[in-house]
Amino acid sequence: MDKDININFFRPVGDFMKKDVAMKQKIIIVWFVSVFGFLLLLKLVADPNEVVQLTLSTGEVITQVTGKSFLTETKFLGFPFHYWYSSQFLIALFIFLCYVYCKFIDKLESEHESQK
Amino acid sequence: MKKMMHWGLTLFFMLIASNAFAVTDLNPEGEIKIIPAIMMTALLVLFILVGVFSKAQTTEDYWAAGRGVGQIGGGMAIASNWMSAASYLGMAGLIYLKGYFAIAYVLGWTGGYVLLLVLMAGQVRRYGKFTAPDFVGDRYYSTTARFMSALIVILISFVYAVGQYKGIGMMFNWIFGISYQTSVIVGTGVVLTYVLISGMLGATKNMQVQYVVIVITFFLPLFFIANKLGYFSAVPQIGYGAAIWDIGHGGNGITAAISDPSYYLPFAKYTMYHWFALCMTLMLGTAGLPHVIGRFYVVPRVTDARWQVVWGLFCIALVYWTAPAYSAFAKFSNLLGTSGIITPDAIVVNAAELAGLPEGFAGFLAAGGVSAAFSTVGGLLMAGSSAFAHDIYFRVFKPNASEESKMLIARVGTVILGVSIIIVALNPPALIAQITAVAFAMGANTFFPLFLLGLWWSRTTKEAAIAGMVVGLGVTFGSMLLPKTSILAYYIPFTSSAVVGVPAVIATMIIVSLMTTEPSQEIKELLYRVHNDE
Repeated sequence: MDKDININFFRPVGDFMKKDVAMKQKIIIVWFVSVFGFLLLLKLVADPNEVVQLTLSTGEVITQVTGKSFLTETKFLGFPFHYWYSSQFLIALFIFLCYVYCKFIDKLESEHESQK
Repeated sequence: MKKMMHWGLTLFFMLIASNAFAVTDLNPEGEIKIIPAIMMTALLVLFILVGVFSKAQTTEDYWAAGRGVGQIGGGMAIASNWMSAASYLGMAGLIYLKGYFAIAYVLGWTGGYVLLLVLMAGQVRRYGKFTAPDFVGDRYYSTTARFMSALIVILISFVYAVGQYKGIGMMFNWIFGISYQTSVIVGTGVVLTYVLISGMLGATKNMQVQYVVIVITFFLPLFFIANKLGYFSAVPQIGYGAAIWDIGHGGNGITAAISDPSYYLPFAKYTMYHWFALCMTLMLGTAGLPHVIGRFYVVPRVTDARWQVVWGLFCIALVYWTAPAYSAFAKFSNLLGTSGIITPDAIVVNAAELAGLPEGFAGFLAAGGVSAAFSTVGGLLMAGSSAFAHDIYFRVFKPNASEESKMLIARVGTVILGVSIIIVALNPPALIAQITAVAFAMGANTFFPLFLLGLWWSRTTKEAAIAGMVVGLGVTFGSMLLPKTSILAYYIPFTSSAVVGVPAVIATMIIVSLMTTEPSQEIKELLYRVHNDE
């Protein structure tokens, strides 16, 4: 019988690829949410009374929140918390995610090797 | 053809060049700074000597030397190749100017490595090709696709290098007191000589030494700056947090009246959309830069290819954790009213001057900035000229060319590329980090989808690849030509065009693939093996 060899990230084929892709998807979700989820959170919890007028490149003037909130006004290691989170914690998280993935895939490969 | 592309690009840049980014003279007195000049000359001599003495070490020797050392050393090589004038000088300048918004640069240029590792590194290594155009030509069974992708490699190297030349020019100007224009030309001469010499010598060893130099020159002055300004100086990477707080709220000599909360508040200067667009573009660009992907082909084992990314990212992080500290300290000194010239692209050097440290510290930083630019320009010129010699000349025009003629073409290519960059760099169109961001946008709009779909969807066809490259280039250049005040330019800034470009290219590629004949069974079988460790 012919096995399915059509490769698609969302429909993995083969035992190895299925396990690998499941892990990849988890890593990508954590990566995305930790960066852009936090950005959205900053916007959502922002104090609606703290606003600033911005002139856009189109010449239009808009009023938007400055983003001031408990996330920016809490002190952490001397930093405003959001600043520490973005410029230090996230980079460490990226390294950690890469480390976790490498450990995982090394193990998967050696298991796969011994089965063959 | 190549020349035409260069002139075309030059023209594109000239069009957007007529704005306020004229380079200020950092050394109006025109006096040579003796200590910094000695430091920089000593560094360049050191690099060349290391190259001479490690000549015998081939890539294979190096990797056989031991697994642990190999991975860390490989990571350092990735990092020094990666960290350019944009990381060393440009990033801090943008954070100084734009505050929290520019943290998107820091995250974009680190977070992209997660995508690169998870989606590309292992698979690219198992696929087993030598350069990015080699992969494109093979996976998309098309000489046209190979040819186009080689041209794109040259274009990316070109744009990326313009930013580096600007950094080199500014630092030569600051150190030697010659005008910026003369500095660019002199600097280019030095870079080209250096690349042509070191290209024949032990490259990997040299990159490790360069990395160590970059980290030491970047770290050391910061302790003194933090100490001088009265912040926690044992770990200034933590100490600058309090400076950010004081800049926003007042304190340590800054009164509430002159404090500047827009420095730390997330949406005080820019919109959320633009933060997202920039960060996403840089991340996707990181995962799609041909000379970064290229580093995975040379390692013998898949697992080394992956661990190299982890170590590379760690080595890069050391510098990226530090860069915002320079901006914060410069901003702090500036609010205090310390006098001195401030130029965003030289903020790292300015930070030492503003804090009132002796000239040697600023000189140390300037020398480090130049070596960061040198290591990257070296890699870029080599990537560009090998695309020209190997992928275009050898693969497309002269398949029976001898090794000698390929080498000659590569040298000629290096010189042509090196010299034509001068023309644009003499009148730089934007800040260093912004020019670099354009190169990333181009990588994201072209190579990222080519690799992503090529590896992860076996239905992607040759026609789709070609259509994708056309659309990707169209978006990249289109975004530069848009009138600055148009609504489209608002949603597709030229530094962040991939936020629109990548979805557009992926959609194009999927639609075109479904309309054209499926790739052969062999390609699918190859991909199956790539994904199943067989």
